[in-house]
Amino acid sequence: MQASRARLFKEYKEVQREKVADPDIQLVCDDSNIFKWTALIKGPSETPFEGGIFQLAFAVPEQYPLQPPQVRFLTKIFHPNVHFKTGEICLDILKNAWSPAWTLQSVCRAIIALMAHPEPDSPLNCDSGNLLRAGDIKGYHSMARMYTRLAAMPKKG
Amino acid sequence: MVSDSITNVSIPSAPKSARDLGKKKRARSAKLKQCKLDVRREQWLSSGAVVKKECKEEQNGGVQGRRERNSPREMGPREGENVGSIHHHHHHDSDLDSNSPSSFTSSVLGGHDSETFTGSSSSSSSSGDCCSGNITEEDEDDGCLDDWEAVADALAADEKPKNQNPEPQREHEAIAKSVPASQIENSKPQCARAMPKAWRPDDAFRPQSLPNLAKQLSLPNSSGKRFGGGVAWGCNSVVSPPSSCPICYEDLDLTDTSFLPCLCGFRLCLFCHKRILEGDGRCPGCRKPYENEPVEAETSVHGGSLTFRLPRSCSMITRS
Repeated sequence: MQASRARLFKEYKEVQREKVADPDIQLVCDDSNIFKWTALIKGPSETPFEGGIFQLAFAVPEQYPLQPPQVRFLTKIFHPNVHFKTGEICLDILKNAWSPAWTLQSVCRAIIALMAHPEPDSPLNCDSGNLLRAGDIKGYHSMARMYTRLAAMPKKG
Repeated sequence: MVSDSITNVSIPSAPKSARDLGKKKRARSAKLKQCKLDVRREQWLSSGAVVKKECKEEQNGGVQGRRERNSPREMGPREGENVGSIHHHHHHDSDLDSNSPSSFTSSVLGGHDSETFTGSSSSSSSSGDCCSGNITEEDEDDGCLDDWEAVADALAADEKPKNQNPEPQREHEAIAKSVPASQIENSKPQCARAMPKAWRPDDAFRPQSLPNLAKQLSLPNSSGKRFGGGVAWGCNSVVSPPSSCPICYEDLDLTDTSFLPCLCGFRLCLFCHKRILEGDGRCPGCRKPYENEPVEAETSVHGGSLTFRLPRSCSMITRS
């Protein structure tokens, strides 16, 4: 437990130091609990998520980094690998392909990459996955775009 | 290219001593220059043939040259004379370069004396013997490593001395009379480049022969760099392990840094390694199971963690 705390603290410092380095990721630690983090990530460009800001919630286990953090979307997102209601993310590195060498920051990067490259063959959001699997790229894009506008973009006056 | 290399060299290799040396060297270099110019003139006459031959040699000697470059880096002695002399040239060149332009030219000439020598002989024979081949080849390579050298000097300065100094110093003493003291001093910080053994034989060589300067003018500097760079590079790769454990972010101590649990090269501290073995036992770098699991498992079992005993035995069974 101490190890995970120390590691998270180091990561926290790292994040502070590299804040400028990755403008697409804003990783914030809960004020009172170092095992709770939230992240704001920008939707990657040239995807239907472009322009959106998505909020992620991290719950870090005490065995971290030997165990992966639990991550889910707090912002609604229409993506085949994200559960539409719970925000659960289907991503190998958060499950069996986790490596202790990953950091919260690198997890965020992986999630951004997942947004840009959905994997419709292991869908958590069947509607989204089916659109892609049926080759209806346009339909997928417009749906994802709509939800990005609705949920991930600041409301305009 | 020449100018580039000069600037590069001058940064790392311009210790105070080098400047003092410069004067001595200049006088000496002036002499050398004279001799060389004479030789050069002769060579100019036959330069056309030489150039052709040179090209051929480069190709022929490429393999050998590469081999030689590696061998000196690792243990030096085998090709000692040839390689050493080459190294020395480089060393010399760089010193001179940093000192003054005039010395630089002289050094260039001097550095390639042996080369010229071989070149001329080979021109007559046109067989592209090993010696000439090697040397030319090195010259070629130098260009590529120009940048390396600046970095390499800084990095290698600390490491190299331990390995390479002992022999060089012996030789240096003998050489000292003929060579300005500064060179010896330089050799310490710059050992990577210097590989001093070679100096001596070359010195004898030097005055005699001039290289085909037409071709090599651009090359000499680079050759020096190339070597230094190569050596330094080798060192770096060996020395480069991370300073902190990528898992727990704690600093790696001496034991940890020499601990390489996986062939993939992923390093971590012993503490984290043990914790991983108690868990899924896969290397964080490549996600393959650790090779040495059985051994580790034994020890950890003795340590008495029941929980991990099962997975460990499983893995052992599967493996065997």
